[in-house]
Amino acid sequence: MLVWTKPGKALTWTAFALVFGVLVLAPFIVVIAAAFAGTWNGVLPSNPTVGHLQEALSGDELASLSVSLQTAFLGGLLAVVVGTWGALAAHGAPGPVARVADALHHLPIAVPSVVVGLGLLVAFSRQPILLNGTKWIVVIAHLVLMVAFSYGTVAAALQRVDPSYADVAASLGASPARVLWQVRLPMLRPAIASAAGLSVALSMGEVGATIMVYPASWRTVPVSIFALSDRGQTFTAAAEALVLLTATVLVVFTLDRLRGRAVEQ
Amino acid sequence: MTVQLDDVSVHFGRTLALEGLSLTVAAGETVALLGPSGSGKSTALKAVAGFVRPSSGRIRLAGQDVTDLPPAKRGIGVVVQQYALFPHLRVSDNVAFGLRAARTPKGEVTRRVAEMLEMVGMTSFAKRFPRELSGGQQQRVAIARALAIQPKVLLLDEPLAALDAQLRADMLGELQKLRREVPDVAIVYVTHDQSEALALADRIAVMRDARLVDIAPAAQLYATPPSAFTASFLGGANLLPVETFGDGVKVAGHVLPGVRATPGKELLCIRPHAIRLGDAGVPVRVIATQWRGSSNQLTCTVDGLPEVSVRIDLPADLQVPALGAQVSMVLPAEACSLVPAERR
Repeated sequence: MLVWTKPGKALTWTAFALVFGVLVLAPFIVVIAAAFAGTWNGVLPSNPTVGHLQEALSGDELASLSVSLQTAFLGGLLAVVVGTWGALAAHGAPGPVARVADALHHLPIAVPSVVVGLGLLVAFSRQPILLNGTKWIVVIAHLVLMVAFSYGTVAAALQRVDPSYADVAASLGASPARVLWQVRLPMLRPAIASAAGLSVALSMGEVGATIMVYPASWRTVPVSIFALSDRGQTFTAAAEALVLLTATVLVVFTLDRLRGRAVEQ
Repeated sequence: MTVQLDDVSVHFGRTLALEGLSLTVAAGETVALLGPSGSGKSTALKAVAGFVRPSSGRIRLAGQDVTDLPPAKRGIGVVVQQYALFPHLRVSDNVAFGLRAARTPKGEVTRRVAEMLEMVGMTSFAKRFPRELSGGQQQRVAIARALAIQPKVLLLDEPLAALDAQLRADMLGELQKLRREVPDVAIVYVTHDQSEALALADRIAVMRDARLVDIAPAAQLYATPPSAFTASFLGGANLLPVETFGDGVKVAGHVLPGVRATPGKELLCIRPHAIRLGDAGVPVRVIATQWRGSSNQLTCTVDGLPEVSVRIDLPADLQVPALGAQVSMVLPAEACSLVPAERR
């Protein structure tokens, strides 16, 4: 801490609380308040109700939550597999190849997600691979976007792992496959778990690419929120946002617990 | 099993990490590769282990060319500086790793692991994880793991470097004991610490700038170093330019009785502890003193040789001359040898 005096510390904490409160907490508080608001004509909401929340947890809106969870787990976990494989391959590749692989893996997050969605829509709307109108195009969109985060997390961890672990394992007679499964991957377990948490969390909130490719039968929660808000149903949108927020926090918390266990091992 | 390197060179990109190393280590022999950082000693060890591929030259184990074989096919035990114990495996599983890789029957794995852990005194730590062990304990487990596969060659890469001074001294004794436990294994021991090399090695290979400088039995290399670098690196010898007259030599104009001139050898090599202070020696001036517990080390300039400084280890019971005092150093002929001057 650079501030040593008591008034200085108090001032610093006040400034931090104000900035954090206004920029980070206030939007969440407003969403929660709106989710329970019957009307909101003045400064504060009035006529509190749980009706919007009931609406968000029934019918099509509840189906959206199921779709979001399935998409996040499927897309996010596939992204972890692809990203881990890519990071391991790039790590062992010659310098120029590794740099190209690095750039390619980061490309999907370097361009707007809407562009990724449009690209997938155009690419998979005709033979030989016709995925438009299926849930798989949504899963693939999430996979493409989340691979960069998985790749980045695992690649950073690989940089920190001493190569002598794999060397020693090989000298003990282990085949490359045994070295991978019994030494390299277990040592990367905390990073892989982090990548999974990050990918699932980001996937739960992804809207840019999804909105370009989603079929009516596979609508995620963020797309529903966008549609409700667009139709002027702000309070229901807020209730659904609260459901999304809660689900994401629960999922991330659970994955973080798993990551904690991986670190302990 | 004999380890043989024939003119082995290793490049990392454009950097030459090892140049034309030829070396043979016999079964049951310990050879220390001794040198400063960047001298190529670890690269040589990695080439033998198969971790790096030589850009030229051949490596043979018991006469079989293994240059193109992967590490897994060489059957060599390796202990690296940070031990590289697999952090997610318990001690017993670390030791069993190589045996399981070789699909050894379960009962044999259990027996062998127990035997190895007993040999290194780690039986009671079998169920612990590496993070629950001290540095010395980790080193023992790493040795047990390397020896569990019954290698004919054991490579040790600075195994004591990560330990504190007291533990290093203890482990040095443990390594000497280990040597006796595996009398037929050829050991290559990489170190930058001359005391480890002298204590453990039958022969010492001194390396510098990616090259082998000298190789000889440890005692011979210490007593009569063939080069100025070896004299200096192994035991921190003083090197004093000599003048010759007939077959005698002089240092700073003072005749050294009993030391015979040798053509091409222009430096007198003498260890700091071999120099005595007395009468009728070479006059020197004390410029620094350092108490080392069992001795005092004096740093002196030699009158008539302004570019040379000499270190003298004075037994602790002798009085230390004052800074700036002129004293006379006696160079006993039996402790002197001549080496060629460095030409780089």
